[in-house]
Amino acid sequence: MVKKLVILKDITKTYQTGKVSYQVLKGINLEVEKGEFLAIMGASGSGKTTLLNIIGLLDKPTSGSYILDGEEVSKLSKQELAYIRNRKLGFIFQAFHLIPWATALENVLMPLLYRKEGISKKDEERAKKLLERLGLGDRIKAKPAELSGGQQQRVAIARALIGKPKLLLADEPTGNLDSKSSEEVIKIFRELNQEGITIIMVTHDPEIAKYAKRIKIIKDGNFIEK
Amino acid sequence: MLKYKLLWGGLFHKKLRLILSIIGIIIGVASLLLMNSFGESAKIKTLKEIETFGPEVMMVVAGNVKVRAGRAIQTEITTTLKPSDAKVLMEINGIKYISPVFNGDGIVRYLRNTLITIINGVNEEYIKLRKFPLVEGRNFLKEEVLGYKKVAILGYKVKKELFGNKDPIGKIILINKLPFRVIGVLDKIGIDASNTDQDDQVLIPYTVAISAVYNVDYIRSIYLSVKDISEISKIEDQINKLLMKRHKVSEKNKDFTIIKAEDILKVKTQTTRIFSVLVKNVSILCLLVGALGVTAIMTLSVNERKKEIGIRKALGAKEKDILFQFLAESIFITMLGGLIGILIGILGALIFLPLFNYPLIFPLGPIITSTLLTIIFGIIAGVYPAFKASKVDPIILLKQGF
Repeated sequence: MVKKLVILKDITKTYQTGKVSYQVLKGINLEVEKGEFLAIMGASGSGKTTLLNIIGLLDKPTSGSYILDGEEVSKLSKQELAYIRNRKLGFIFQAFHLIPWATALENVLMPLLYRKEGISKKDEERAKKLLERLGLGDRIKAKPAELSGGQQQRVAIARALIGKPKLLLADEPTGNLDSKSSEEVIKIFRELNQEGITIIMVTHDPEIAKYAKRIKIIKDGNFIEK
Repeated sequence: MLKYKLLWGGLFHKKLRLILSIIGIIIGVASLLLMNSFGESAKIKTLKEIETFGPEVMMVVAGNVKVRAGRAIQTEITTTLKPSDAKVLMEINGIKYISPVFNGDGIVRYLRNTLITIINGVNEEYIKLRKFPLVEGRNFLKEEVLGYKKVAILGYKVKKELFGNKDPIGKIILINKLPFRVIGVLDKIGIDASNTDQDDQVLIPYTVAISAVYNVDYIRSIYLSVKDISEISKIEDQINKLLMKRHKVSEKNKDFTIIKAEDILKVKTQTTRIFSVLVKNVSILCLLVGALGVTAIMTLSVNERKKEIGIRKALGAKEKDILFQFLAESIFITMLGGLIGILIGILGALIFLPLFNYPLIFPLGPIITSTLLTIIFGIIAGVYPAFKASKVDPIILLKQGF
């Protein structure tokens, strides 16, 4: 068993706009162990979202090495990356990013559509149980527009969990929510972590970050030590 | 079921968009089908008309005649073509049938029914030459023609209007107040290559026509057919020389014109060709309009759904999954549109073709090609934007979604 789920070594990311290049990440080193709940904090523009996108395989680093679950992923093809995203990762976004025409239940099942095994009756039952557990048992047929922000984010959490991921990635999960819903969501995170799910969360809100077991602060493209 | 709902639920999310893209295809396919049916139908109608005027038939028409749009137009009345000219032409080798023709308007009456129609003075060979079938009675006898007998053969419409369903054979009708005995009725013929309705006429012996009915000493034309089509130009030459000599005219001031079926055919096919070129161009235009419509709507649809594509990619969809999804959507739209388009096109043809007296024709080849083309256009139109979208990084797509 690999103990370290994420190992980042000297990760840099440079954006090129015309002749001007801008280095967002300047040699990030990070190790995340299984079962951790890490919060990455920083002001806007500090590079925290870019870092999370790289960890989530949605973006590629300009240089550096990234070992995810014992596998070097920085040189994999798009297809292989899509496969890993589907199998090992779960995403939660600030803007929820639910598909508007699909019901809560359908949104939750969406990741399984891209698995060879397909969607079984069991999966459907599992999705219903997940929604029930997150307090949406009576809203499974509702469309995102019919749900409150907190409810939408809980659907997104269920969607992230349906594929039994090794790593849950959350980008400002409470950024669009009021304080009551924020607290609900972050408590769910803590429960999930206590059940053994590894979570990496990006936030700028210290009230939210304090629920995490470990906090790292990023500034101008690099971590600063406390 | 759920799998397909998750894949294609987005298709039915915006109904107006879906309906618009389907309508684009419907317009393309339906108009293509209709235009092709019309074109083919017009061609067949022309061919049918020409059939009544076989390739072995030739006309010698008095005066200077021009063929315009398949119609022989006599520019002035010429009185120099005589029955004796026809007699001389009969001597030419290779002629099968020959008939002098004098035609004019006439008032025809039976009891209280009166109508104005065309009176054609001909001989006993005319209906054999024109291949006009008789439904009742008999043809003229040679003795009746030479003996100035007042007998008549009625066109189909004339018989219907004068006699209804009663038997006309042996009855006496009045043509310009002169009594004629009906001896036969022609079958339905329709409009021939010279654009005259052959059902609206009465045939009488030409001898009676020029003497008793119209009181002239000339005829208007001579119809003849040849035994061997390959000799037609040779015979045309002989007739030309013979008549020029008899009328003492040269090529310049000729007082007669020879018209072959071929000449009429040439003009007719030319018109048909122009028509089919027109049909083809309009068809291509329809196709383009349909395809452009689908392209525009599909591009719009993909742009609108970039966020959806981004989400799906973030959740683990591969590029080919995205492509497959949009390919299936385009196929669905174009197939459905194509099917409805074909139905509407056929319905349109069923309504409009009979309205214009055109035969009902559905040319299978063009219909299949045009439908396939529309579907291919539609699919390309749908897939290309999706292909582009599937290549974009999911984070960019997700950012655009806000």
